[in-house]
Amino acid sequence: MNQKPNSSGIKHWEWEIKPETSWWDIGLVELYSYKDLMLQLARKDFLALYQQTLLGPFWALLQPLLTVITYVLVFNKIIGIPTDGVPPLLFNMVGITLWTLFSEVFLQISKTFSQNAEIFSKVYFPRIIVALSTLWLQLLLFGIQLLLLFALYLLFLFKGQVEFNAGRLFLIFPVIANTAGIGFGGGLIFSVLTAKYRDLMALIQLIIRLLMFVCPVFYSLAMVPENVRWLVNLNPLSSLFEYFRFAFLGVGSLNGFLLLYSAGFMLMIVFFGILLFNKMSDKLMDVL
Amino acid sequence: MSKAVIQVSDISKLYNLGTIGSGSLRRDMQLWWQKNILKKEDLNQKIRDGRKIDTSEHIWALKNVSFELKEGEVLGIIGHNGAGKSTLLKILSRIIKPTEGLVRGSGRISSLLEVGTGFHSELTGRENIFISGHILGMKKEEILKKFDEIVDFSGVEKFIDTPVKRYSSGMYVRLAFAVAAHLEPDILIVDEVLAVGDAEFQKKCLGKMNDASSQSGRTIIFVSHNLQAVSNLCSQALWLDRGSVRARGKSKGVLNEYLSALHKKSWIKEFSTVREAPGNDMIRVLYVELLPHFDDPLSVIDIRTALTVKFRFYNATDNIVLSTDLLLFTLAGECIFDIPSKPEIHNKGMIEGECTIPGNFLNNGSYTFTLHFSKDTSSELYSYQECLMFDVADYRENTNWYDKWWGYVRPDFPLILKPLTIMSK
Repeated sequence: MNQKPNSSGIKHWEWEIKPETSWWDIGLVELYSYKDLMLQLARKDFLALYQQTLLGPFWALLQPLLTVITYVLVFNKIIGIPTDGVPPLLFNMVGITLWTLFSEVFLQISKTFSQNAEIFSKVYFPRIIVALSTLWLQLLLFGIQLLLLFALYLLFLFKGQVEFNAGRLFLIFPVIANTAGIGFGGGLIFSVLTAKYRDLMALIQLIIRLLMFVCPVFYSLAMVPENVRWLVNLNPLSSLFEYFRFAFLGVGSLNGFLLLYSAGFMLMIVFFGILLFNKMSDKLMDVL
Repeated sequence: MSKAVIQVSDISKLYNLGTIGSGSLRRDMQLWWQKNILKKEDLNQKIRDGRKIDTSEHIWALKNVSFELKEGEVLGIIGHNGAGKSTLLKILSRIIKPTEGLVRGSGRISSLLEVGTGFHSELTGRENIFISGHILGMKKEEILKKFDEIVDFSGVEKFIDTPVKRYSSGMYVRLAFAVAAHLEPDILIVDEVLAVGDAEFQKKCLGKMNDASSQSGRTIIFVSHNLQAVSNLCSQALWLDRGSVRARGKSKGVLNEYLSALHKKSWIKEFSTVREAPGNDMIRVLYVELLPHFDDPLSVIDIRTALTVKFRFYNATDNIVLSTDLLLFTLAGECIFDIPSKPEIHNKGMIEGECTIPGNFLNNGSYTFTLHFSKDTSSELYSYQECLMFDVADYRENTNWYDKWWGYVRPDFPLILKPLTIMSK
């Protein structure tokens, strides 16, 4: 670094505060120095989530379990959606587990500014730390639910209703990363928007609900009539669900092109989300 | 010669009152449509149903503020409410961005803009020490190293594993401050933290800050309404007035300048001619002044201060039975008292009045005086409303009660407890 002399003699200032944040001004070194804070915030949220509750962290298990039972009753027993010869309970569980990851990451990260306005107005740290800690916490909760999914999977494995393939199962890691990425990027963008426009918070709930219907969560892509399949394929999440189900159950319509589309979309939205978040986070403090 | 650690050059902050956005996307889009497509500027006001906001209205919360601090210097920032003190601190703390200007500095900077930043009421004292410590910028090892010291300083060892929502407000504040007091930044920014707590606790905090600057050579920027604290603690002072630096230099000089201006401005109303004085054909009030009884010119009016109100008015009627009432209102408009003068016959001319309110009578808060003139004790001649406004600061001793003291008045009547000896025979 070249040191420039200034009014107080030859001196190098360690930091400066300027009116504008440039689009590219992301201090990775600074970000890393706040890693303790990130872990601590995730820990705080996790502990606070289950203070003074009857079941504590078991809620993380009970929630998907109750959801899956409802889905099986409604979609399979009443409406009669076929499940490609897979036990309906497992079929829905796979979809719901991944869907919970996406919807929770997206929803919770989009609340970054609206829920932390108080603390953001009193102390500085890179705001994206909060979003990262939310992501971390949601991955942790997802991990708990994944254990439940595996338990259920083992149960059906012993009953001989599904078959196991270790190589196939490794597919879940890129799929999880991609799903969480889309939720993260989308959440960052919406956190900026909802900070400025409170009424968009209601829209997020709606977006999540509508997205779920154009995503093979409780049905498989193969069931979708040809003439509307483009709509489901347009959803970058769709192929992820097909691959996720394939990894566990060996059923699903795989399409490498669509998976590539999904990955590309994820990279774009994460990239754009981080830039927007970084650029706007200082300005938003005047609005909050 | 010690080196400069922070340099503030020409900082300005503009707040847009109207165009900052209405908080709803639909309205903002409507505004944008009208402004950029239809080119109708004047519609903006109508859209904001009733709330009168001029979109072209900007406010410079800060304007061209510059200063430089060297290592170990303590700067006190003083000024009225809304002078831009908090805005300046927020810019230095990197919470908001300046509109113009540049701040440069060296070393780690920490800010205490409130007590208990990041505390979560559901979690235990132990958890909260870690959370608050991390949020204020401490590293994990630092907190672990100082954990026992922090607990000691706070004096809540017994309750360290109890959720802080079960703490008394005093314990909460002590724990929160204990964490903050163990920060070791190169530059510390403190805002009114000392407004909480009793005199003893304030002394402890001030002592801690004093140590920080004199022993560890820490640079401190300190905002307070407590001029006594600023005078004791700070070598330098900066007086902000409506966003600009009014005075800057050695704290004693700046404080004196500030106080003399303060007295002049808010506690006296004086008019040189009858024509421009407020009033009507019957009464013109030429002079009203509030004179606090201070021992020390640096002090502020607190609940112990006795106050004298002096006023002078012109009576335009001969042979009139005249009486004057001095009324005191809270800012919310509730009347605390109404003191009438004895009705007497007066002739045309200047009349002077005076009333003294003893110390240890008013509770802390903001008050306004109203002068009310009447004829024959029944018909109103003139009412000079809210002629003086003043604040009464809090002062407490020997108490652990930190909340707002109850009651409109706070008289110091003796209340005595005596243990009764039981008659054994």
